[in-house]
Amino acid sequence: MKIKLKEMGNSLFFSLIGIAAILILWTLGVKFTSVGLLLPTPLEVLQRMAYTFSNAIGRELTLPMHLAVSLRRVVIGFSLASVCGVVLGIAMGRFRMVEAVCKPLFELVRPIPSVAWIPLAIVWFGIGETAKTFIIFMAGFVNIVVNTYAGAKQVDENMLGVAYMLGANEIQAFFHVVIPSCVPYIFAGMQVGLSTCWMAVLAAEMVSSTEGIGWTITAGQENGDMTQIFVGIIAIAVVGLLLAVLMRWAERVLCRWRVRGK
Amino acid sequence: MNTEKLNTAKKQKRKYQVISLLSVCVFLLVWYLATAVFELVPAYSLPSPVKVLETFITKFHSKAPDGATLPKHFISSLQVAMSGYVLGAVIGVPLGIAMGWFKVVDKIIRPVFDLLKPIPPIALIPVMIVVFGISLQAKAVLIFFSTVIPCILNSYSGIRQTKQIHLWVSQTFGASNMQMLFTVAIPSALPMIFAGLRVAMGSSWMALVAAELLASTSGLGYLISIGRSLLRSDLILVGIFSLGMINIVITAIFNVVEKRFVRGGKAE
Repeated sequence: MKIKLKEMGNSLFFSLIGIAAILILWTLGVKFTSVGLLLPTPLEVLQRMAYTFSNAIGRELTLPMHLAVSLRRVVIGFSLASVCGVVLGIAMGRFRMVEAVCKPLFELVRPIPSVAWIPLAIVWFGIGETAKTFIIFMAGFVNIVVNTYAGAKQVDENMLGVAYMLGANEIQAFFHVVIPSCVPYIFAGMQVGLSTCWMAVLAAEMVSSTEGIGWTITAGQENGDMTQIFVGIIAIAVVGLLLAVLMRWAERVLCRWRVRGK
Repeated sequence: MNTEKLNTAKKQKRKYQVISLLSVCVFLLVWYLATAVFELVPAYSLPSPVKVLETFITKFHSKAPDGATLPKHFISSLQVAMSGYVLGAVIGVPLGIAMGWFKVVDKIIRPVFDLLKPIPPIALIPVMIVVFGISLQAKAVLIFFSTVIPCILNSYSGIRQTKQIHLWVSQTFGASNMQMLFTVAIPSALPMIFAGLRVAMGSSWMALVAAELLASTSGLGYLISIGRSLLRSDLILVGIFSLGMINIVITAIFNVVEKRFVRGGKAE
């Protein structure tokens, strides 16, 4: 225990030194070299970040409100993608008929980078919320289907056999054997899907929108306001990290019997 | 008896293959009927599959309306992707290995890496545009970022997952630290490293398309964004499908290379 604590203190110490070194190098670089023409100092970025918590970026929304707009889009798109993806993935993995019909069509869509849907979404749905939901949906959907399908394919046939032998009917076997053994795979898919969705919403907002966190960095670019871009990037990174942690936590709570690699 | 079983299994398989084929045909037919025959949707939003194919073929030699042929766009995208990707892999993989093997490197680089890791590369596009303009450089640096992070991450955890027993054995036989790294740790990390290279390919391709949508004058992403501003969805679809096809080809190449170089199972 003591050793562990000491080790933790040690690594914390090194992390702090590392981060301090970056910040100092960054500040020195900005202050004394021509980099300063382009980049703000970390202190300026922090100040601006604090400032935008209560003051609007753009017309009326503050930084947290921009984040909320983007998160709302992600939540809607991602939930739709999760529901559809899990259903299709399991159906494809368990029923050969569904697999035969849907797999070739899915294989057509799968290799397309989700960002590439943006122009088509805009032509189809305009630049409103529907287009963004569609883009986020596509980003999450593909990942979730791929993983769920893999999970449903590897359900242990012996276990199914045992369930049937003990008198379970199709439905019971499905809910007590198939679904639980898919759950870790579904979570893996949802984790990748969520981070892809977070990236897709940025891209969608950068291409066309009037609010949201992705818009704040493109607006910064258009005004040549590097500080605003950095504020946006930091906010994006922090929220992305929080989303990942949240998924991890949900996985740990919801499927305790099998935690994937830590 | 056994051959009979095999035969029915074969028949079953053939049946499902026929269904798969039919499914694609029905999809194309419905698409064709909805667009070309009944005109349920306006042609600018969804062209018929025939039109898409026509555009695809004419784009091979025609420069209109975006100033370059399809192969040219393809080469320009590929050039950017490769320059960033190769750089990212060449730096990322050894760095990840070093971080996994040498505690000192880990301690120094880890905090920097943890700071950069959660930033989606797409968010860096505006910075790149301000710093480098819309040149090849800007995109190459962007792709470098989206490659280097998964490469480091996977090589690192690959090395970290080396079986302790294998290391003990080599130690018992008197291997030096370097010998242990090159003959035990790296070969056993290879599947993970390859998985990282794959992930990196996917994410760098995505970053490239995003960069080309936002600011560029050539490339497949540029082609689809022109298609959007001219309301030529046939052009967009041609671009999207070409992107998909390239992805398939790249995956196939990866499979071949992996089979050739990696012994022992694939990483999950």
